[in-house]
Amino acid sequence: MRNPKVLATLAALLSLGAALPAAAQWWLGVPDTLPRDAKGEPNLMAPAPRTRDGKPDLSGIWNPNASKYLRDISVDLKPGEVPFQPWAKKVADERADGSHSREDPDANCLPQGVPRIGAAPAPYKFVQTPDLIVVVHEAFSLWRQIFLDGRKLAADANPTWLGYSTGHWDGDTLVVESRGFNGKTWLDQVGKPTTERLHVTERYTRKDYGHMDIEITIDDPGAYTKPWTVKENLSLLPDTELLEFICNENNRDVHHLQGGDLR
Amino acid sequence: MKTKTALLPLTLGMLVAVLPAQAHHSFAAQYDAAKPITLTGKVTKIEWTNPHIYIFMDVPDEKKTGAAVNWALEMGSPNALIRLGWKRDSLKPDDMVTVEGLLAKDGSHVANAKSIVLTATGKKMLAGSSGGTGGASSSEER
Repeated sequence: MRNPKVLATLAALLSLGAALPAAAQWWLGVPDTLPRDAKGEPNLMAPAPRTRDGKPDLSGIWNPNASKYLRDISVDLKPGEVPFQPWAKKVADERADGSHSREDPDANCLPQGVPRIGAAPAPYKFVQTPDLIVVVHEAFSLWRQIFLDGRKLAADANPTWLGYSTGHWDGDTLVVESRGFNGKTWLDQVGKPTTERLHVTERYTRKDYGHMDIEITIDDPGAYTKPWTVKENLSLLPDTELLEFICNENNRDVHHLQGGDLR
Repeated sequence: MKTKTALLPLTLGMLVAVLPAQAHHSFAAQYDAAKPITLTGKVTKIEWTNPHIYIFMDVPDEKKTGAAVNWALEMGSPNALIRLGWKRDSLKPDDMVTVEGLLAKDGSHVANAKSIVLTATGKKMLAGSSGGTGGASSSEER
């Protein structure tokens, strides 16, 4: 795989794979801003773009490669590496077999929380300005604001599902600090709990045009004995747009998960 | 050229993988990845709704009594299927279809659809399944 020709072929095929069928286009006449190769395919290995002030530009529609993390955020860690407090371990063990899945906020169309929303299987769009980044999530049509203007969260801010986020640049990495959570969310489908003391640090690094790494540190002294860190990643989803996603339109799953007929 | 041939299956796999499978609930809690099922029958109803599209179909029962059993099939979200190339009217009531999916754990006539073949055209469409082999989504099969 070190052979440049093989890599180039793989890149071309990857681009081909990422391209959407023409049938899936619902906007016409969209200006094309993607770097493309000689064949017109998106070049997702082109250099990451920068803003006018020289910062990395994270703008774009990103798709999480995260279904395994959605299910179990610590799937890449060794057994025992999540520093549960005893009560949190008990809760996670009780939920692990799926018998409590009907209580998962996500299954009830409630917000996934942070960082789980970043692993939810729907694309999301970074809209970047110098002082504010807005992340528009297709999942349940939710959004996050990341303030880069130096503000700080008041100690008595009302707890929320997705918390309050501020950010700063560490070299080419965007560091997002989020607090002010309501403690109702599960970190993953197997049910690791959170509390109102949750503090999440996400470090976003756009490696090239089409790929972004995220390092996530969970610091919740209400449920875990020390901070712990996992890694996820995103791929740019070219030639598409966000779509509305209203989860509560026809959610049959909770009834089914409760043992009722899906019909 | 040899390299291209070898990479083609990988590419097709990734085509599926880059497309989001919408799962807002635990797949493993509802469906059994170890219980695949193939159903052939007539579509009776389509619910093109969030968070999942459901199709209902009459399948002749195994005892060949002539009676039909109505099955419910859970698919991905409309957005996931749109990105897979579906239109709202890609499937209509009375269409004959063959569905490959995974059975519900509760033993009811419910399954999570992985793909649908329209009998009239032979065209196979992926169903944006949220299920995979033991995981939350088939897209983790990378």
